[in-house]
Amino acid sequence: MKFLNKIDKKYVLTLIICIIVALLCGALIMLATGFNPLKAYQTMIMGALGKPRLIGNTLEKFMTLCLLGLATAVGAKGGLFNVGGEGQLFFGALVATMVGLKLSALPAPIVIVIAFLCAIIVGGFYAWIPAILKVKLNVSEVITTIMLNTIAIKVVTYLVNGPWCASSVSVTKGTDYLPDSLRLTKLISASNLSTSFIVGALFTFLIWYCMKKTTVGLQMKITGENARFARFSGLKSDRIMIGSMVASGAICGFVGMTLVYGYNGQMVDSISNEFYFDGMLVAMIMNYNPVGIIIMSVFFAIMSTGAAMMDMTMGVSSQLYDIVFSILIFLMAANKGFSAWFTQQSMQRKARAKAREKAGKESI
Amino acid sequence: MWEQIASIFSIGLFQNTIRNATPVILAALGGLFTEHAGIMNIGMEGMILMGAFFAVVFSFTFASAPMGVLLAVVIGIAVGLFFALFVVKLKSDEFIIGMTLNTFAAGITVYLLRSVFHQTGSWVSKDIKGLEAIDIPILKDIPILGDIFSGYSAFVYISWLLVFAVWVFLYRTPYGFWMRASGEHPEALETAGIDPIKMKVLASVLCGIFCGFAGAHLSLGYLNCFTEGMSASRGFIAFACVVFGMANPPKVFGAALLFGFLQALGIRLQSVGVPSSLTEAVPYLATVLMLVYITVRGANKKRNRAKKAMALEAANE
Repeated sequence: MKFLNKIDKKYVLTLIICIIVALLCGALIMLATGFNPLKAYQTMIMGALGKPRLIGNTLEKFMTLCLLGLATAVGAKGGLFNVGGEGQLFFGALVATMVGLKLSALPAPIVIVIAFLCAIIVGGFYAWIPAILKVKLNVSEVITTIMLNTIAIKVVTYLVNGPWCASSVSVTKGTDYLPDSLRLTKLISASNLSTSFIVGALFTFLIWYCMKKTTVGLQMKITGENARFARFSGLKSDRIMIGSMVASGAICGFVGMTLVYGYNGQMVDSISNEFYFDGMLVAMIMNYNPVGIIIMSVFFAIMSTGAAMMDMTMGVSSQLYDIVFSILIFLMAANKGFSAWFTQQSMQRKARAKAREKAGKESI
Repeated sequence: MWEQIASIFSIGLFQNTIRNATPVILAALGGLFTEHAGIMNIGMEGMILMGAFFAVVFSFTFASAPMGVLLAVVIGIAVGLFFALFVVKLKSDEFIIGMTLNTFAAGITVYLLRSVFHQTGSWVSKDIKGLEAIDIPILKDIPILGDIFSGYSAFVYISWLLVFAVWVFLYRTPYGFWMRASGEHPEALETAGIDPIKMKVLASVLCGIFCGFAGAHLSLGYLNCFTEGMSASRGFIAFACVVFGMANPPKVFGAALLFGFLQALGIRLQSVGVPSSLTEAVPYLATVLMLVYITVRGANKKRNRAKKAMALEAANE
């Protein structure tokens, strides 16, 4: 009950209305381009939840979105926008794969732990660069992280197709496949869902706990909202900002590793298809609220996996998902803006009425 | 060795520089307006992409390049107004709206391309009419200069003229003055009887138009096709150019040219065996380094000025 009271009912209601309107907009676009929206949405839901295998894929997608959304939130709460998660993810995945390939002689659990550590260190380091530039030199982190994304993707593309490309002829693209002993156990056979889901869930809980229940989370929140206030209250705001950004990068690196070890099995230059940006948008819709991100990720995971099925069976391009996604954010922003505008208007009207009353009294 | 260097620094290098720089110049000039009006416009990427796509759509349906440019401009105005509605009127977070605009643009262009025009990846057709190349009368007969400076689409020359025009607009007309004031000191502008919101909306619409130009040049300027994700971070690079050109038109022009040069150099280096994915990363890396350099230099200048002022004060006492 206590938990229920804490939920902002008005926010949830507007969110639901906005989702419905966004889906309607998506339906209109489909109608205009000659598809049957009802059938498309049905295919979408069946494509995400119709079979155990598909549910597994949806759950895997949920974990990816959720972790990446939380990564954005960790950075944003600390006061820095990490737009560079895609690059951190790519490097994390690459390093984890290379560790797996080079150390495959060692026992599997040890290799996986080393790969995990390497992935989060590399991801964190790649986020540390823009963070230190922002904090020490005041270089806009938004631009640097966007540029670092492209750099990372280009470098990875070069490495996996050049010096580190597969030695066996049967592999057409990317690095060699990891040995089977290193691949994580599947929770649902033939799906993408692997034991990385459990680790991811653990991570999710830890992030939520840190952000909401510990002093570190509070310090981050204060720094993110007002860095000067934080500094004058004796917090080491620089360190907190850099720390939150590095943590954000580390999460992205971990996600990169799960993509390879969980189901892809090798590193290719298309390992992530702008997954981070999807996660970032989820985080933005939910105002960087961890619990909100977790819930919202379920919805978008269903849409995302379902959209792929819709694309395959009906020919409706899966980009519809991006469109509905962005319309939803516009609607949320519009709602927030309009309600603020109305409040301001009504307050001004009240103030004017009060002033008139006062003037009337004085004249008597 | 010398032959290789000569093959890199050929006339083609400079031609590519100008071609690659033009969309960035146009977009960055648009970004100048919003920068001066105090809006962080991260949505230029999406504006360019939509301009590029809709230019091709109209060029295809009417088999005429000017119609394509017209639609790109109309879309630019619409997107500019849309952006202004959220960022200026409703006071939404400009970062969120900009990023969402980019996602929306990427989504809608690919969706329409695949579902309506039934093309995947890139859209090449002889019905897509490109802009005609313009030869400059006397210049084209001069041996080397003619090859480098003549024979581009009109946008290349327009972008050079616009650098000057934007400078005049911003620094020599009342509108430019008001626009700068709307970013620096909106309250003062309001006291002077000018609505800062109107100036910000104007800046946003102008930015939309310029990004529409940039998109139209990208798709109709020399390749006459549309490719998914064609803008390829040019909007972000344009934003970076605005930052390290300190929102001054000639300096921004220089920054954009430098970017174009680096990209062209990357293409040339491929011919001597440097892998293409590495050379493609160079402009982005250079952007980061330049941004760091400019920010540090700016901070140093400020510090020096403060020191001088203090020394002067001490001397006066």
